[in-house]
Amino acid sequence: MEYRLDRNIHSLLDPRTKLLLLFTSSVFVIGNAGEAWMNTFYWILVYLPVVLLFMEKEWKGGLAAVGIYIASYYAQRALQHDLTAVESMFALMLYIITKILPTIILARYIIKTTKVSEFLTAMKRIHITDKLTIPISVIFRFFPTVAEEAKAINDAMRMRGIEMGAKKASEAVEYRMVPLIASCSIIGEELSAAAMTRGLDVGKKRSCIWKIRFGFPDMIIIALCLACFGWWGIGRFFV
Amino acid sequence: MENTNRLNAKDLINVGIYTAICAVLCCAVAMTGVIPIMMVLLVVFVPIITGIPYMMFLTKVKKFGMILIMNVLMGAFMWVTGMSYYALIVGTVAGLIAELIYRAGRYQSKKCGIFAYAVSGIYCWANYIGIFFNAESYFSTRQNFGQDYIDAVTGMLPLWMCPVLLVVDILCGIIGGWIGAKVLKKHFEKAGIA
Amino acid sequence: MICFDNVSYKYVKDRESLKGIDLSVNEGEVILVCGPSGCGKSTLVRCVNGLIPHFYEGELSGRVSVNGIDVSQTTLRKLSRHVGTVFQNPRSQFFNVDTTSELAFGCENFGMDPDEIERRIDQTVNRHALGPLMDRSIFKLSGGEKQKIACASIAVEPLDVIILDEPSANLDHRGICELQKMIAAWKEEHKTILIAEHRISYLFPYITRALLMDSGEIVKEFSAEEIKALSADDLHGLGLRAEAMQDPVGLSIDTKEETDKSDKFILSNMKFSYRGEKPVFDILQMEIPAGEIVAIVGANGAGKSTFLRCLCGLERRCKAELKVNGEVWNNKKRRQNIYMVMQDVNHQLFTDSVLEEVMISLDKEDKDEALEILRSLDLEGFADKHPLALSGGQKQRVAVASAVASGRKIILFDEPTSGLDHFHMLQVSELLKKLRRSGRTLIIVTHDVELIKTACTRIIRFG
Repeated sequence: MEYRLDRNIHSLLDPRTKLLLLFTSSVFVIGNAGEAWMNTFYWILVYLPVVLLFMEKEWKGGLAAVGIYIASYYAQRALQHDLTAVESMFALMLYIITKILPTIILARYIIKTTKVSEFLTAMKRIHITDKLTIPISVIFRFFPTVAEEAKAINDAMRMRGIEMGAKKASEAVEYRMVPLIASCSIIGEELSAAAMTRGLDVGKKRSCIWKIRFGFPDMIIIALCLACFGWWGIGRFFV
Repeated sequence: MENTNRLNAKDLINVGIYTAICAVLCCAVAMTGVIPIMMVLLVVFVPIITGIPYMMFLTKVKKFGMILIMNVLMGAFMWVTGMSYYALIVGTVAGLIAELIYRAGRYQSKKCGIFAYAVSGIYCWANYIGIFFNAESYFSTRQNFGQDYIDAVTGMLPLWMCPVLLVVDILCGIIGGWIGAKVLKKHFEKAGIA
Repeated sequence: MICFDNVSYKYVKDRESLKGIDLSVNEGEVILVCGPSGCGKSTLVRCVNGLIPHFYEGELSGRVSVNGIDVSQTTLRKLSRHVGTVFQNPRSQFFNVDTTSELAFGCENFGMDPDEIERRIDQTVNRHALGPLMDRSIFKLSGGEKQKIACASIAVEPLDVIILDEPSANLDHRGICELQKMIAAWKEEHKTILIAEHRISYLFPYITRALLMDSGEIVKEFSAEEIKALSADDLHGLGLRAEAMQDPVGLSIDTKEETDKSDKFILSNMKFSYRGEKPVFDILQMEIPAGEIVAIVGANGAGKSTFLRCLCGLERRCKAELKVNGEVWNNKKRRQNIYMVMQDVNHQLFTDSVLEEVMISLDKEDKDEALEILRSLDLEGFADKHPLALSGGQKQRVAVASAVASGRKIILFDEPTSGLDHFHMLQVSELLKKLRRSGRTLIIVTHDVELIKTACTRIIRFG
C-alpha cells in the first residue's frame, strides 16, 4: 500500500487557540475572576476540555475526568456548613480537585494533540521568541522521559528493599534524585547533540510541513474566550 | 566561528530539561499542599527539594539568559497549574536578579550559585501574594469550608506573615542550594558528570 | 569528500582521544571504523559531524574538511545540510514526540519548502515500507523501530555524508537486518558512509574499506576482502566481535553436563498484559533449571524484558508463583530473593562510592565482608570511586556485587552485553560463570549469539 503524507492536522484547534483557551481557563476557572457573575461561562469552561477530549476519541480518560469532577463537586457541596478542621481539610482537597482538574484535562488535550513543529511555527507567527518555545517543547517531550526514569529507579529501589529510605528520609530523597538527575543529564546531552546535528538552532527561520491555519472551530473558541473577558469587563466596570 | 555568548540549542534544551525536572518535583511536593499546614510549608519544601537539580542546572549555565528563561517558564507553569499569576511576574523579576547574581560570580562561583538559587526560588512565595492582598475575595469563594478552616489558614497567614514567608523562602532556598551544592560535590562532580 | 589532516583531539572530561589522524575518504565510499571500546572511533566520527569542536569541549589541532568545508570554521547548522548522524541510543535522539514530525525535522530546520519535504517523506517511507510506523508516538515504539525511524529521518534529508555511531548496539537480529537494508539503499544512492562499530560482520557486504583503531590512532587499514577473510580468532585478537549474522532463536547449544538431576524452579500462572491491551504473554507453567545460566531468546517485542520484571516481582499486576525447593514465592518474596541487573544499570546505583553501594545491601554493615565481595569481582581497586564514574561493564559488576551482598541466589540480566566489544563481552561471560560456580542461578535475556555460545548452558525460547 502506498503511503501518502497527510499534512492536515486533525486536532481541531490551532496551537494559538489552545493557548488562549488555557489562559482563559486559568483566569476564570482557577483564578475565579468574576465569580458568580461569570457562572454560565464558568461551567462552559469547566466542561469544554472534556468535550475536546471526547472529540479525540479518548473516551475513558474523558469519562473518568467527568466522574471524578462530578463526584468531588457534589461531595464538596455536601460538606458545607460548620465543619470540623478535618472535614474542612477534606473539603478543601475536593475543592482544589474541582478547580484544577479542568485545566489538567485541557493541558492533557493540548499535549496530546500538538506537534512540536506545529507549536514552534504557530508561536513564531505571534512573535514569541524560540528562546521560550524551544525549552517549552523540550519540557513536553521530557515529561514522559522523567516519568520513565523515575519509575525505573523506583523499581530498582524496591528490588533492593531500600525504598522506604534505608536510615533517614534524606537518603530516600538522595537515592531517588541522584540517579534521576544523572540519567536525565546524560539523555539531555545526547538529545542536544542529535538535535544540533539535525540543524536545530536559535533564531533561524524554519519551515513546517503541517498546515497551520485558523478554522471554524478556532473561531468559536476564540469568540467564547473573548466573550468571557467581555462579560467579565461588563460585570466589573458597568454593573 | 559562532558567537559564543549567544544562547544555542544546547543551552535551551538544557533549560527545558531542568525545568521539566523541577516542575515534576514541584508537583510532587505540591500534592501535599491540600493539608492546610503543608500549604504554608510549601515555601520550605519546594526550595529544599529542587535545590539539587537546580545546582546541577547551574553547572550548565555559562551564558546570560538561561536562569531568566527557566524562571519565566516555572512562573508560567505555576500560573497554569492553579497558583497565581504573581508567580510569573515575581518569577521573571527574581530570575533577572538571580541571573545578575550568578553572572557576578562569572557563572562558576558556587556561593553566588546558592544565592542565585535562593533568589530565583521566590516565585514559590509569590503564590501566596494572592492570599495576603486579596484575602477577602480569596475566601469569599471558599465560604463553604466552614469558618474553622478559614480561621486555620488566615490564622496562620496574618499580613505580617507575608514578609516572614519571603524570608523563610529565601532561607530555605539557601539551605536547598547548599544541600544541592553538597550533593553536586558528593555525587556528580565525583562521578565526573557535572 | 572527507579529509583529515593530522588531526589530534583531547576531551576535557573523557579519556578517549585522537592522535595524528590522516585520512581521506572519497565520495561513495562505505568506511567501517572499528576497534575496541575507547579506541577513539566515536571521537573520529564526531570530528566529521561537527560535534567536535562545536559541541564537546576539548582541544583540537589539525584540520577536518567535509565536502571542502572546514568543519571547525563552519556552524553545526550549516554542516547539518551535508552530514547526518544516526546515534547509538534510540531513546535520546528524537526531538519530536511523533514519528512523522521527526522525519520532517531536519528539513524543516533547513527551511526547505514543505511541498518538497512532503515529497521526500513519501518517497522514503514507501521505499523502506515504514507506513505502519508513521503518526505514532515515539514513546510507544520498540528499540528497533526507533532506530529505523532514526535512519529514515536521516534518509529524508538531502545529505552527502551519513554517519552511524554504533547503530546496532541496541538492536536484535531483525533490527540489524533492517539496518542492513537501509545501508544498502544509501550505498546505492552513492552516499559517503562512515560507520563506527565493533559488531562488524553484518557490514561486510557493503564496506569498501575498514579502519582499525587503537588508542586514538588508525593502526591498520583493511580492504573489504581482507577483513572478510579474517578468522574469528583474528577478529577477537583485534578486540572485535566475530559473530556471524545469526538469529539466536535458531541457536542450539549442547548441554555439556548431566542436567536431569538438577533442581528445577517451577513457574506457574504467569500472565501479564498492559492495561486494556491483549496479554503480552500467558505462561501456564515453565520449568527453570536451577544452578544454570539460562538464556532467554526471542524477537524484540515478545515481552522478554517484561517477563524478567514479572519474574522478580516488580509488576504488581502479575500474580505469578515460583516454586523453589518446595516453597512458593509470591511477588514480595521474589522481590526479596531475586535480583535483576537492569539494561540501564545507572538506575540501580545510588550511593557515592562502590564500597557504600555494597554495604547498604549487606544485612550488617561489615566493611571486611564488603571488601571481600568486591575482591571476588575484581572491584577492590574501585572501592572509593563513584559508581557513576565507572565504565558500563564495571557498573554492571557493582550491581552484581550488591546482589551478592544481599545474598540473592537468582540473578536476572537484561541484555548485559549490548554495546560491548569482545573483551568486555568475555568479561561478562566470565562473571556469569563465576556466579554460577558459586551456586547461583542466572537468567539472561539476550540476543548476543557470542555470549550465549561462551556462557549459557540452557536456552529458553520465548514468544
